[in-house]
Amino acid sequence: MARTILEIALSLIILIGLAPLAEGLLRKLKAIVHSRQGPPVLQPYMDIAKLLVKEDLSTTDNWIWRMAPALCLGATMVLAVLTPLGGPPAFRMAGDVIVFIYFASLAAVAVILGGFASGNPYAYVGGSREMMMMLSVEPVMTVALAVGAIKAHALTFDGLMSSPAATSGSISMVVAGIAFLLALQAQAGKLPFDIAEADQEIMGGPFIERSGPGLALFRWAMHARLMIFTAVLVSVFVPWPIVENLGLSLVLTLAKMSIVLALVGVVDVVNPRLRIDQSMGYYARIVVFVSVGALALAIVGH
Amino acid sequence: MTTAELIRRLRESFGPAIRSVAEPVAGKVRVAVAPEVVVRAAKALTQEYDARFLITAGIDSREERGCFDVDHIFSLDNDNIFVILRASVPGDSPKVAAITPEIPAAGWAERELQDLFGVKAEGHPDPRRLILPDDWPDGVYPLRKDVKYGDWPPVGDETTDAPYPFKQAPEGTSTVVVGPFFPVLEEPVQLRLFVDGERVVDCDYRGFYNHRGIEKMGDSELSYNEIPFIAERICGICGFIHSSCYCETAEEAMGFRAPRRARYIRGIMLELERLESHLLWTGIAGHILGFDTVLMQTWRMREPLMWLCEKISGNRKTYGMNIVGGVRRDIPKELHPDILGVVDKIEQEWSQLVNAVEGDTTLRARLVGVGMLPEATARAIAVVGPTARGSDLHIDARADHPYAAYDEVPAKVITHPGCDNWGRVLVRLLETLESVRWIREALKQMPDGPILSDEIPEEIPSGQWGACTIEAPRGEAIHYVLTGGDNRPARWRVRAPTYANLQALPSMIKNETIADVPITLGSMDPCFSCTERVEVINARSGESDVINHEELLARSRAATERLRRR
Repeated sequence: MARTILEIALSLIILIGLAPLAEGLLRKLKAIVHSRQGPPVLQPYMDIAKLLVKEDLSTTDNWIWRMAPALCLGATMVLAVLTPLGGPPAFRMAGDVIVFIYFASLAAVAVILGGFASGNPYAYVGGSREMMMMLSVEPVMTVALAVGAIKAHALTFDGLMSSPAATSGSISMVVAGIAFLLALQAQAGKLPFDIAEADQEIMGGPFIERSGPGLALFRWAMHARLMIFTAVLVSVFVPWPIVENLGLSLVLTLAKMSIVLALVGVVDVVNPRLRIDQSMGYYARIVVFVSVGALALAIVGH
Repeated sequence: MTTAELIRRLRESFGPAIRSVAEPVAGKVRVAVAPEVVVRAAKALTQEYDARFLITAGIDSREERGCFDVDHIFSLDNDNIFVILRASVPGDSPKVAAITPEIPAAGWAERELQDLFGVKAEGHPDPRRLILPDDWPDGVYPLRKDVKYGDWPPVGDETTDAPYPFKQAPEGTSTVVVGPFFPVLEEPVQLRLFVDGERVVDCDYRGFYNHRGIEKMGDSELSYNEIPFIAERICGICGFIHSSCYCETAEEAMGFRAPRRARYIRGIMLELERLESHLLWTGIAGHILGFDTVLMQTWRMREPLMWLCEKISGNRKTYGMNIVGGVRRDIPKELHPDILGVVDKIEQEWSQLVNAVEGDTTLRARLVGVGMLPEATARAIAVVGPTARGSDLHIDARADHPYAAYDEVPAKVITHPGCDNWGRVLVRLLETLESVRWIREALKQMPDGPILSDEIPEEIPSGQWGACTIEAPRGEAIHYVLTGGDNRPARWRVRAPTYANLQALPSMIKNETIADVPITLGSMDPCFSCTERVEVINARSGESDVINHEELLARSRAATERLRRR
């Protein structure tokens, strides 16, 4: 029991608590590519702290509108304790891969509903774009995890990660890992896929009417989302070197996550934004050619 | 074709309907015709002589001759000829047949004529107000001489409360209203997009919220030599274009040219300004596409250019160097290495950027085939500058109507057959390199001599005129000056390039998605400010969510009330 509580605390600290730091480091990376000095790495914390104490202006009295930020961050926090960090997830008794995917969708749905509820047409456009993104990206992620589940004959992350079949570096797992990596960029709302928010087109989309604490919670959840999916990617698809010591494994996982985050950051900074139809087409091709390919390979035993 | 031949052929076609012909400067012809034939004559010019419509200038000549003059200005680009087609209409019942049905490019110009002079353009397909605000009383025409500068129209009973007659959304579309403030427009503008899902079906436009009455100031408050400084403030990015264009036009009207060295200095400053503008624009285009790396890097490259201009003129922008007769500051030999150093560095970094952009597949995906403006449409709407050259039209005032030093140092015209956003982007990218080449060449050939003319006449007779174009970064600007008494023009007409280009917007964004509207707008290089609000009509469900002014006010007050109670 005490161990579980410790693990939960650790998961939350790393995946939720350190998420703004990761964002700060990504901004620094971006600034270097831009030939800028950039904001301090702790700026995202300061932004969130500032927003939390500001007035929460509201365009509507709709309860969905008021609940959406808490629902989004709440779902993201549950997601965090269901996320493997080199070892099995902290809250493994409560959920497997399917529950993970549910909560991942719930966080996205909170963004969409919150946008629709605001009554702002830009938020409406942003919300429907977010929905289209979700519908095209989620299958990629789901199929990739399904490949692991088939290899391991297990639906839990610890089953997946402890199964020699899934961690032996089979072709299907490598291909599924690539598909998951490609989906990561969109899941985190980074360029060229920040289409739902597209500042220059629809000015933040679902978040346009948000201010103060509501915006802070959404921001925080978005920062955490990137951390969580990165952790899943490196834990499930890049488990090597496999070490027994959980502490060492955690350190290795964090190191691998940093590399993936840097990659995400670089892709973000060297790309313009795609259009929603282009990005849906891109993910449709990944689903068809990469994910389904991996799935087929896994089924025939590669 | 020579002007003599043109005049002879026009006389053959129209006979006595041609009332008078004047050609004070070679290549600038003013043909006064009977108002009845103005449409036929305009049509003949565009169809038989390949003339391009530039602008219409109204002139209030009631005091002198009891009439309004309507001057349609055309350009014969291949022959370096300007033709001004003048129709004089009676001062007591001013109306003239609209040329817009034949020449769509005149659409805004004739609406402006109705707004500002009260000369009715009969048969205009869209006679709604263009420039005057919604609550401006009928029957007050600001550019008429009896309205004084600074007069404020009477408000009260005469003020109309009727809402502006916007177009109705077509069946099955929603209306997304962009503006009056939106990030990709250089002035407050209202654009009503009729969309089906994300696809734009049609749009309506309302603008000129920022009309400053500079022309009125020019013909009633300022003197010849004060105007360049106000002209430079017409635009924050291409101000020097306007001061140069005014000065060249005024010099032509007064019958002399600025000294050669002054013309070289104007040319160099114009090209430096083009570099400043294109670098700025490229960054903004990147920003619109979410490609902030391009924004940051191009603006970093641009900064030394700003310092250079400050070194030459004392200002980063709005150089204040032009006066009628020449320039106020020289570019001494000692500054040449500075200029060459800055432009060399830009050329080197820009070449890398051009390569990177040309090879970027995501950029291509966003730009190729988007914002189509086919050559025929571009010609009909008479767009200018990179917007025209991106549609493969070979139009460039530097080559067609050389001014400043472009007659001695020719500039290469860069075109692209793409007719899309990609074409317009590439034209600008390559023009930047051409500007660098031109500056280098001009510095090499710059002659010694005075920078201010000694031929400036003591007395400037009224009734003389000049018309000049200058190729601004976003297209050609036109100034038309008629001399008057009191040491100021009787009429100073200005047309900035965006005036021509913006009229092409509806056809460019038709059938594009909302996501492509900002970059398509951006591709013709207007400036940027900040977004405000959008209204939606859901025509499909029959529900109207249009918020009118009172409702909006009521809603806004109710929202404030709710917050206050909390």
